[in-house]
Amino acid sequence: MLFPTLTFGLFFLVVFTIVWSASGSNEWRKILLLLASWVFYGAWDWRFVALLIGSAFLNWGTAAIVSRTEEEGRRKAVMLIGVVGNLCILGVFKYYDFFLEQLGMLLHDFGFQRDMPLMQIVLPVGVSFFTFQGMSYLIDVYKRRIAAADLLDITLLMSFFPHLVAGPIVRGSDLLPQFREAPKLTRDAASIGLVLIVWGLFKKAVVASELSTGLVDPVFFDPASHSRIDLIAAAYGYAVQIYCDFSAYSDMAIGIAALLGYKFPLNFNQPYRAASLQDFWRRWHISLSSWLRDYLYIDALGGNRRGFARQCVNLMVTMLLGGLWHGAKWTFVIWGGLHGGVLAIERVWDRIRGEDWPRMPAWLGVIITFHIVVLGWIFFRAETFDQATAYLGGLANGTAAATLTVTPLACVLIGLGLGMNAAPVGLGQRIALRLRMLPAPVLGLLAGVTILIVDAMRFEGVAPFIYYQF
Amino acid sequence: MPRETPSPIDLPDEPLERPGLLWTGATIAIAALLLFVMNAVALRDWIEEQAPSPVQAQAAALAEQWVTITDDIGLGRPRAWLHDLWKKAEGATF
Repeated sequence: MLFPTLTFGLFFLVVFTIVWSASGSNEWRKILLLLASWVFYGAWDWRFVALLIGSAFLNWGTAAIVSRTEEEGRRKAVMLIGVVGNLCILGVFKYYDFFLEQLGMLLHDFGFQRDMPLMQIVLPVGVSFFTFQGMSYLIDVYKRRIAAADLLDITLLMSFFPHLVAGPIVRGSDLLPQFREAPKLTRDAASIGLVLIVWGLFKKAVVASELSTGLVDPVFFDPASHSRIDLIAAAYGYAVQIYCDFSAYSDMAIGIAALLGYKFPLNFNQPYRAASLQDFWRRWHISLSSWLRDYLYIDALGGNRRGFARQCVNLMVTMLLGGLWHGAKWTFVIWGGLHGGVLAIERVWDRIRGEDWPRMPAWLGVIITFHIVVLGWIFFRAETFDQATAYLGGLANGTAAATLTVTPLACVLIGLGLGMNAAPVGLGQRIALRLRMLPAPVLGLLAGVTILIVDAMRFEGVAPFIYYQF
Repeated sequence: MPRETPSPIDLPDEPLERPGLLWTGATIAIAALLLFVMNAVALRDWIEEQAPSPVQAQAAALAEQWVTITDDIGLGRPRAWLHDLWKKAEGATF
């Protein structure tokens, strides 16, 4: 069930009506939201609802034991069992076949021909998101950052349908306190929620879908038969597509949650205006980057507490694992390695740079950072390492072609997508401040007309969000 | 220790002290109604995509009739005009 479809629209209308009608009891409200979330998730595959429930039980149970155990060694052991349990879920469903394939190739290189017991396991949608969410809850309870919560709240935390399949990774510390009180729907939350939903719909259904089908997919499918201009345009096009696709999901998720009375954290903050890669990761997929920073880089690896060289290694390890989090492919590892390497170089540069050395102008930093990110996206988007190198080869040695795949409309959409990053900060919120003053009929007509315009422009059919596969 | 995470839901101004549920419900209902009458083709296309069954066939026939009615009144014209304009923009080449 994809957000920008009529199926989801009707589902949401039903959920909105039932959930707010049952607001006399917060517990019943949460149970209804939980059932709705399972229906939403079961629309892909009912079998995986059991996995979702099992995962919630695992984290609830281990966190409950951790919170009741006084002895530090035991607390840590139980927490580690829970984390390993979560990693096993990820490992089996996401990485089992990948690692066996690599092992098979390694054995082949050493002269052992073996048929590996590959299982062709279907990847449950959103498994990376809900396992990371479960782990963060468990670690937070162990670190005494939050109190252990009851089973209903944990199950809802992990299953809540707005963030279930593609984030944001909403932590227990953000959402559990909200679950404890019956929410109220304010005009403020509703107006910004509607702005985010309609804006997300436009970014996904118009910008991302159009660029994907009209430019990016055909050029990345066969880079050798496209001119250098097409390759350049598709590289920029993919940078805009993935931003408009993923940030659209986050915007709609935040907006939908707001209409149900809950507050999700910001997940994107105009990432292509970042003047360094460190700045980029404070703006791109913030819920993942802050997760990796807090739980992997600082908690597990020690952050910068063990010396500068170790800090740089930690950065690289964090980004490599962050790359692998996206999927079991070497291209994701290379993407993570590129980001980790550049982040480490930035740290080294900050350390060796003299105070009196001239500073790079901010605009130049933005351009350089953006192009490093675009280079990384080529690996991220390519199906294989060979495809990525063929693409880069075409960029370096490409020819002029008689016909171009890139169209004037694609150029306008790329310009628009990049321009979104230069828009005034908090523009959506300022629009919401004006909308909240309007009478409902006027705002309803305005919302309806805007959705009508978006629907008239949208590409036929809706491709799944890029981050569904993660 | 609760985490302080900024959210776009926190508007940069004093909260408006007015109830929001009825206001939001009315807003959504009016938007849905407007789309129902001015975007009948979307409903028809969606019903046609559903798994074939006697109920689906009946719904598809009703949706087709609804498209005809709204087109006759001219309610579907703005969407069709915009869609044609967009298709022309899509078809333009260098």
